[in-house]
Amino acid sequence: MRLRRLIVAALAVTALARSGFHAQELSTLPNRPDSVKFAAIGDNGTGDQPEYDVANQMERWHRRFPFDMVIMLGDNLYGSQRAADFVQKFERPYKPLLDAGVKFYASLGNHDKTSNDTYKPFNMGGERYYSYTRDNVRFLVIDSNYLDPRQLAWVENALRDAREAWKIAYFHHPIYSDGGRHGSEIELRVKLEPLFVKYGVNVVYSGHDHIYERLKPQKGIYYFVSGAAGELRKGDLKRSINTAAGFDQDRSFMLNEIAGDDLFFQTISRTGETVDAGVIHREGQP
Amino acid sequence: MTRAWRLVLEYYLLLPLGGVIALIWANTAGDSYFRVAQALAFAVNDIGLAFGLAYVAQEVIEATLPGGAFHPWRRAILPVIAGAGGTIGAVAVYITYIHTADELVLRQGWPIACGADIFLSLAVGRIVFRRGVAISFLMLLAIAGDVVGLAAISRQRLAATVHPAAGGLIIAAIAISVALRQSRVRSTWPYLSLAGPLAWLGCYWAGVHPALSLLPIVPFFSRSARSLDEFAPSRGAHGAAGHFESAFAYPVQGVAFFFGLVNAGVLLHGFDTGTWAVLSASLAGRPLGILAAVLLAVTSGVAPTRDIGWRDLIVIAFAASPGVAFSLFLASAVFPDGPLLVETRVGAIATIAGAPLALAAARLLRVGRFVDRHATQPVQSPLMDGRA
Repeated sequence: MRLRRLIVAALAVTALARSGFHAQELSTLPNRPDSVKFAAIGDNGTGDQPEYDVANQMERWHRRFPFDMVIMLGDNLYGSQRAADFVQKFERPYKPLLDAGVKFYASLGNHDKTSNDTYKPFNMGGERYYSYTRDNVRFLVIDSNYLDPRQLAWVENALRDAREAWKIAYFHHPIYSDGGRHGSEIELRVKLEPLFVKYGVNVVYSGHDHIYERLKPQKGIYYFVSGAAGELRKGDLKRSINTAAGFDQDRSFMLNEIAGDDLFFQTISRTGETVDAGVIHREGQP
Repeated sequence: MTRAWRLVLEYYLLLPLGGVIALIWANTAGDSYFRVAQALAFAVNDIGLAFGLAYVAQEVIEATLPGGAFHPWRRAILPVIAGAGGTIGAVAVYITYIHTADELVLRQGWPIACGADIFLSLAVGRIVFRRGVAISFLMLLAIAGDVVGLAAISRQRLAATVHPAAGGLIIAAIAISVALRQSRVRSTWPYLSLAGPLAWLGCYWAGVHPALSLLPIVPFFSRSARSLDEFAPSRGAHGAAGHFESAFAYPVQGVAFFFGLVNAGVLLHGFDTGTWAVLSASLAGRPLGILAAVLLAVTSGVAPTRDIGWRDLIVIAFAASPGVAFSLFLASAVFPDGPLLVETRVGAIATIAGAPLALAAARLLRVGRFVDRHATQPVQSPLMDGRA
């Protein structure tokens, strides 16, 4: 059933593209007034032009798809991380979104300073791992740099106590990825996946590999790698039997919408082209 | 005992054997390997390794007693200075590398750069020098780096909550050991069964790595001195020390095997900044630090070690560069399971390259077994002309 919906959505995108619609005009997101809408960016904080291009594209899409939050999948700032860098690599590119009241919720990557958890616009509340809710969605933000026993216990407690219909986890290092440079972090997978399965996590977002990849469901969980909102490793996606879709030719970001038991997603390139789209139906729902 | 088996035991080859199995297993069936390795990690790294380190400590203590290679203690000054220099050099290169590569999350991994694989260094040293003062020099140099690494990880752990009874337990363990020594107890079992658990729990509660827990007990074993460069079971040693050596000669080999098995399983595609930082620290930072420290020391008036020239020292510096097993252990103590641990572990394994480098340097510089027997002139200068 889930697979059929994904195929239908993918076919719809393909058919629309072939029928002469400009890619930029395509949106498979229902854009319902009462839904949870968010964007996802990873490995963005270069401060270079491509990051600004992606940010401009996000702002353009925000006008017709008013997401009110952005999840950041780590490596939010590369290089030096002084006050001026926060301006150049975060505040300036995303200024229109910040001015529009969009909130950013960051996770930490291997290029981020741990002390960045106190940077107010990242909304981490001084914690390197934390959780928050939006309507019927529980977001779990994990620090995959240091998955120590204390954090692992916290993950288990947070998932066990979560009463929301949707459980979404995000962190920097992907536990499933076909990125050639890094790939799957199996040691993390051994620790996290049993908890995700046990407590019914629906979707997991990560970055680190500078590509976009959607994986086929693994033990009932959907995985996205979205690590190309600033950095790009062109041609680095080494497709495997686990790859459902991917894009490694340009920068990209994701738009997501949760409406009832469906999560709609759309992945957009730096130039505004939709490179993947679909819908995920919540596990266990008819 | 067959010749092959003797060779395996003498050169601690069970450690690399465990490592090779782990590498193959991790890269062919990663999920099952990491499940098993994580299940065994506590028993091996926190309990088994305590006996392994106690075994090494026992050798070092004996070497500083009358008849040992480093008696009187002044003989140990230069190798300790060399060890300190090597450690400083390695840590400096590690820190510089991660700053240059902009991955400050790896900063707390600097103790990994201190790790020197004593057993591998010893094996390389024996191949080149066979025996003699160069082996002792190499051993003490490697141990000095490891002590710094262990102290560093203990200090990092001390940042955690310390149980109020921890210090009392360690003191009680030492008191029991003193009492046993004064009672001339010659078996090692009372030391290990009475004082050992108290010391282990004390370290665990204090945030000190439990692998260090037997170190406060070992000095109180009754003992007889012998040379460190033998590094083999005591010949005719009496008392708890000799009993400990004979009782643990084989179990320590088992610990070495499981240590390799649990810690060496890394995904070979997991190389990243941490890999190169550890590798450059060990292969460049430590040898340069050793040479610079010895140069500084002998020009400042520290007595050079007899029978060791600059060419020997270059070979020794490379022989001391592999961090393999000990760096793997330090990495496991510093980083939790995850990507940072993986990439630094890959680096630790890659430092095995120091061994062939040392052999190549020995051949190139005609040191040890590669010395030109037909040469009529001395082939190398002493550490300081006229003083060695």
